[in-house]
Amino acid sequence: MFTHLIVGATFNIGDALFYAVLFIILMWIVKLVAWKPITQLMQNRADKISSDIDSAETARNNAAALEKKRQAALQQSQAEASDIITQAQQSGDNRRAEIISTAQADAQTLKANAQKDIQQQQQDALVNSKNNVADLSIEIASKIIQKNLTAADQKALIDSYIEGLGSHESK
Amino acid sequence: MEATRTFQFLGLTFNVGNMISGVIVAAIVLGLVFICSRHLQMKPSGKQNLLEAMVDFTNGIVKSTLPSGSTRSYGLWAFTLFYFILISNLLGLFLHIEIGGVVYVKSPTADPIVAMSFALMSLLLAQYSSVKKLGYKGHFATYMQPISFLLPVNLMEELTNFLTLGIRVYGNIFAGELLAGLIAKLAFSGGILTFAVSVPLELAWQGFSVFIGCIQAYVFVTLSCVYVSQKLSIEE
Repeated sequence: MFTHLIVGATFNIGDALFYAVLFIILMWIVKLVAWKPITQLMQNRADKISSDIDSAETARNNAAALEKKRQAALQQSQAEASDIITQAQQSGDNRRAEIISTAQADAQTLKANAQKDIQQQQQDALVNSKNNVADLSIEIASKIIQKNLTAADQKALIDSYIEGLGSHESK
Repeated sequence: MEATRTFQFLGLTFNVGNMISGVIVAAIVLGLVFICSRHLQMKPSGKQNLLEAMVDFTNGIVKSTLPSGSTRSYGLWAFTLFYFILISNLLGLFLHIEIGGVVYVKSPTADPIVAMSFALMSLLLAQYSSVKKLGYKGHFATYMQPISFLLPVNLMEELTNFLTLGIRVYGNIFAGELLAGLIAKLAFSGGILTFAVSVPLELAWQGFSVFIGCIQAYVFVTLSCVYVSQKLSIEE
C-alpha cells in the first residue's frame, strides 16, 4: 500500500526500523562515552566558577578587613612607641634632677660636717692649749717667783687671763 | 531510480546500501565523539574544546526552543540527532561507492525512507512528550483544541509536520547529490572543454552542498525541538 508513495521509492519498513535502532544505539553509546562525562564536567566547571567567584569575593573582603586592622595596629603601636619615648625622657629628667639634688644635699651635709669638725677641733685645741698654758705657767711661775701658789689660785689667774685673751680676740 | 540491493528478513525489506551508509555515519559520529571525549579536563584544551563547542551548539538549539531546564532531558537527543543528520548530509559529498550499478555508500538522507524515518522519530518523540506531560486523555484532548470540529485540521497538521520535516531534508540532499552527479556526468561527456568547465562548477556545487547540509541539519533539529515544545507548551 505504501510502496512508491514518495517519488517512486520503495518504502522499506526494514530500513526505517534499522535506522531507528541504529539511532537509539548510537545515542546510548554517545551517552556512555561522551555525553555523561562532558555534561558532568561542564556542570562541575560552572559550579566551580561560581564558587570561585564567591570565594574570591570573600577573600577580597577578608584582605580589606585585615589591611584595616593592620593599619590600626600600626598606628596604635606608633602611638605607644612615642608614649614610651616621652615616658623614658621624663623619667630620665626626673632621675637626673634627683641625682643632682641628692648630690647637692650630700655636699651640703659633708660641708656642714666638715665645719662642725673644724669647730670641734678648734674647741679641743683651745681647751688643750688652755690646760697646757695653765700647767706651763704654773711651772714657770713657781720656778721664777719660787713661791708656791695653789693650783686653784693659779687656775683662777689663768682663767682671768684667758678671758681677757678671748675678749681681746673677739674684739 | 538507481538499482538497489535488498534482502528480506522477518518479512521486512532491508536496503543494504542504506544500512552500510547508516553504519558508516554512526561510526563517524561515534569516532569523533569518542576521540574528543578522551582525557577530559577541567581546563579544556584542543579536541575537548571542539566537543564542548558541539555540545554547546545543540544545547543552544534546545534552550532557544524548549522550556528552560529541558537541556537535561532533550540535550542528548538533539546532540545525537544533529550530528547524525549532519554527517548523513555530508557523507555523500565525499564518499559515493557504486559497485555494478548498485549504490552501497551515499548520503543516507538522500533516501526518502531514511529522512522520513527521522521525521517520524521526531514526531513520535513529540507525541511521547505530550503523553508524558498530559497523560493519554489530556494528550488526545489537545486534538480537540480549541474547538472539537478542528480535529481533522489538527490531525492534518501532524501529518504535514511529518511530511515537511522529512521531505525538506530529503529533497535538499537528494537534489544536491543529483546535481553533483549530473555535473560529474557532464565533465566526462564532451572531452577537455566540458571537463574544464565542470570542475570549478562541481567544486562550487560541492561547497554549496556542504552549506546546505549544515543548514538542513540545523533546520531539522530546530523544527524537531519546536514540535516537541509545541506539545509541551499546550496548557491543560
